Amino acid sequence: MQAAGTRFRYMFQFFFKYPIPVFSKGQFVLLGAWPGWVLLLLIVACMSALALLIRSRLPQAAPKISKWRAGAVWLLQSLLIATVLVLLWQPAITVAELAPQQNVIAIVMDDSRSMAIADSGSDGKLTREAAAAKVLEGGVLAGLQKKFQTRLYRLDSKVAPAVKLDEIQPSASSTHINDGLKQLASETSDLPIGAVVLLSDGSENSVDGSGDLDLETINVLRNRRIPVHTVGFGKEQAAHDLEVNDVRVAFRAMADSRIPATVTFHQRGYAGSKALLVVRDGNKTLGSQEITLGPDGSTQVATMFFSPGGAGAKSLHFSLGPLAGEENLQNNSVTRLLGVTDDKRRILYVEGEPRWEYKFIRRAEDDDKIVQVASMLRTTENKIYRQGISDPKELENGFPVRPEDLFSYQGIILGSVEAGYFTPLQQELLREFVDRRGGGLLFLGGRFSLGDGGWGGSGVADLLPTILPKSRTTFHRDPATAELTAAGADSPITRLMDDPAKNIERWKKLTYLMDYQDAGTPKPGATVLAQVNAGQRKLPLLVTQNYGRGRTALMATSGTWRWQMSQPLGDMAHDMFWQQLLRWLVLDSPGQVVASAPAHTLMDDGRIQLSASVRDKDYMPAPDARVTAHFMGPDGISVMVDMAPAPDNPGEFRAAWTADKPGSYLAEVTAQRGAGEPVKGAEKSRGGSEDLGTDVLPFERIDGVAENFHTVQNRDLLEKLASETGGRYWKPEELSRLPNEISYSDAGISVRDIKELWNMPVVFLLLLLLMSAEWLLRRKWGVV
Amino acid sequence: MKLLQASSAALVAMALCSALYAYQRTADFGFGDDDSQSNTPAEFYWSRLSYTAGTGSSFGSYGGWGGYGGYGYGGTWSRDYPKADRQVLLAMKRLTRIQGRSTEQVVNLDSDDIFNYPWVYAVQVQTWSFTDEEAKRLREYLLKGGFLMVDDFHGSADWEEFMNGMREVFPDRPVEDLDNKDEIFHVLYDLDERMQVPGEQYIRTHRTYEKDGYVPKWRAIRDDKGRIMVAICHNMHLGDAWEWADDPEYPEPFASMAFRVALNYIVYGMTH
Repeated sequence: MQAAGTRFRYMFQFFFKYPIPVFSKGQFVLLGAWPGWVLLLLIVACMSALALLIRSRLPQAAPKISKWRAGAVWLLQSLLIATVLVLLWQPAITVAELAPQQNVIAIVMDDSRSMAIADSGSDGKLTREAAAAKVLEGGVLAGLQKKFQTRLYRLDSKVAPAVKLDEIQPSASSTHINDGLKQLASETSDLPIGAVVLLSDGSENSVDGSGDLDLETINVLRNRRIPVHTVGFGKEQAAHDLEVNDVRVAFRAMADSRIPATVTFHQRGYAGSKALLVVRDGNKTLGSQEITLGPDGSTQVATMFFSPGGAGAKSLHFSLGPLAGEENLQNNSVTRLLGVTDDKRRILYVEGEPRWEYKFIRRAEDDDKIVQVASMLRTTENKIYRQGISDPKELENGFPVRPEDLFSYQGIILGSVEAGYFTPLQQELLREFVDRRGGGLLFLGGRFSLGDGGWGGSGVADLLPTILPKSRTTFHRDPATAELTAAGADSPITRLMDDPAKNIERWKKLTYLMDYQDAGTPKPGATVLAQVNAGQRKLPLLVTQNYGRGRTALMATSGTWRWQMSQPLGDMAHDMFWQQLLRWLVLDSPGQVVASAPAHTLMDDGRIQLSASVRDKDYMPAPDARVTAHFMGPDGISVMVDMAPAPDNPGEFRAAWTADKPGSYLAEVTAQRGAGEPVKGAEKSRGGSEDLGTDVLPFERIDGVAENFHTVQNRDLLEKLASETGGRYWKPEELSRLPNEISYSDAGISVRDIKELWNMPVVFLLLLLLMSAEWLLRRKWGVV
Repeated sequence: MKLLQASSAALVAMALCSALYAYQRTADFGFGDDDSQSNTPAEFYWSRLSYTAGTGSSFGSYGGWGGYGGYGYGGTWSRDYPKADRQVLLAMKRLTRIQGRSTEQVVNLDSDDIFNYPWVYAVQVQTWSFTDEEAKRLREYLLKGGFLMVDDFHGSADWEEFMNGMREVFPDRPVEDLDNKDEIFHVLYDLDERMQVPGEQYIRTHRTYEKDGYVPKWRAIRDDKGRIMVAICHNMHLGDAWEWADDPEYPEPFASMAFRVALNYIVYGMTH
């Protein structure tokens, strides 16, 4: 293929006199004095005259010349005349060409560690770096230096000038092509850069983790019209390798929970084989799953559940394989940081009547050390029975009427209680609880729930994930079985078994529910995780949706308690389901201070952009807060940084910091308001200031790992970079023509050159072909 | 001879009619096809445990789901039945927000159907005995979250007989006396001041006790998390108090206390 491409370019230049870039980058012009329209008119006139002449003589030539044969002769003669006429108008190409010795060619060589892989050169045994040096020293560099000044750069996490080729060694721990080219364009703004020649394997591993070009880089290069000629090194695909592309897992989890991780990977050479996916915390295996590998090169996705254990920052190690004969064993595992918290989450459960569902939900939550349910149960018309309260005054006056009281909970469950039980103010508080505070709200089925409780026409109807039926007889005390939807099969809420197919079967084996409720139609954006088989109908059973900063769900039954009573003793289905549902309800309910960062694992680059969302007790943004970030890291690193308010987003604060050393870090963000002195951590505020809260964000810096991944040549990226900037992707063996072709560029200092086309060999061949074809046809038809 | 034949035929006919009647009564307590009140689905069913009596006057009498009525009705388990049950259900409807069926439900330990009724009431429990399968089912019922209230047995001998059956279910779980602070006495009404609730015999004897059961015992067996699974009302007869609550000769304070205890025990069973 490579030889074919080279031959094609050689043949092209032989017939067309100039290389392809002249035609791809140049503009076609007619140098003749007369305007182009005269040429067009003349061609039409000649073709018409020729047609009339042939038509007038056709009767004499018949029968040897039929109509279509006459047409063929006319066409060939017309093309001949048109070609001659065009040549008379002096066709040419004008193309921008770099002025000799006035431009600089930037030669950028990737010196990252992946360039040390020995899979290049004619025998495939040279390192990529050595192959690149060999190509340059084999005449390319000299060829360029005849026409241009050259400057040599090394590229890793940044670009840096280099004096000699041999001082560039493939040892850097990362390749940031985007950042490097932007830096190059910026630092050479006063230089006439004619082109950039990038010699690389294309293993971009920037901080953003996308592994792709960013638009900003392309725009910077385009603005300066700098073409980037890319030269690719390294094998374009591995023969035997299994590589983990990415692992997506939540940044935060509750202690003793079971959470999913989505692992994407690909392989070559092991289609149909089995590999073991394992997640470890240090030496402790947290979970494993056997994977059957798919077709070569295709990206596979596997979801595995695991229990991260107790509270603390966990550095989770996900590994796949290794398999026998793998070329690269260092791309089989990745690390992710997970903050596991045992902070208590509180749910307010409002129940309108004593019923079994209430009892068994409470019993399920008795086993959950994290989620606590405070409940208020209307036992009689005038009595409320409270359970799970933290002090005697909690819920003493019924459902809260002040935001700061209600917003102290992370979740709310509304049982069999009608909408009219809540005042308009309380209904508005419910809406704000989800929308502004970011809490979770769960509606249960029941006699006074959903449509039967008038919730469809209430002020919080927006919160419902379904459009309720208008009827008030939607609750039915009839048995109904539950089944999972496709979305529910692998949902952490409805997971009774890790394997989605087995999970579906497990749900089918659950005993029937004592009752069900018609919850209507799911709203756009809502997710139906489970449904009930009610006679001939399937109705939504468990529906979730995001709303504002929070989330809502409905469970359209009050009969799951039967799972607990009728399944065999020790069957945990009921308790697992409710614990998982309620943990989902409150897990992402934010505190008043929430710290975040784009990435929690920093690869080779210690820069972290820390953000903090700060709200007051009513969860209104607190732009007047004083926010500090306390960074703590290895070797006793302890740095306090003031976070600055974000001008475009009230209540948001930002700070940039750099973790210089590899290791695990904590960022403790503390927010206060008022006149007092700032205090750290969980200490009480003093001096009249209001302590708004604290959040701790774990992150880590890992060096020297990124270059273990994507080690095959990323030709797509190199080709895209070249084509987007007006350059060309080169293979090393083609590079000898680079010094000639690189000239055609309007970057730097360039002049426009006129390339006449009349004397191209292909023109004479065309004329000869047209005349010969006519003569041969006439001979064949016997009219010569 | 003819008289004997006629008598025999009459007896057989009566037996068949009784069996048919029993079948019909039994069907009334299930989820049959008819729309009578007895078949109305509800959240709460006052469930009375029908058991095999191992001792006492009704030895061998047993019925329960699908067949109690023929020869079991009138056994020890059905003392005060069904009027006491329905009187409690009336009080529950009037005084709480619990949606209960107005008629009682008879359950037994022969099938898993009992798991559909998480609250069960049993009387005369000094006469009960269980097969291994029944004991296992009752144990699982209670450990899964079922609630059992026992009543109407008196004195030390009855207690020992009751415990003989209970040890078949829970050989090792302790029985403890409930103190006034226990949640079961405050879940709906505050029942710090409780008296011995006598049976209907009080009208004639003015004794609040029976046998040697002079002091009322409020006892319980708890699960591993301290929740009451078996609420034991020993040396009292709450069932009679509910049944005779409308008798002008039966003292109102006893009836009121009995209703309050029942409602507290029901609400506790539905919340813990």
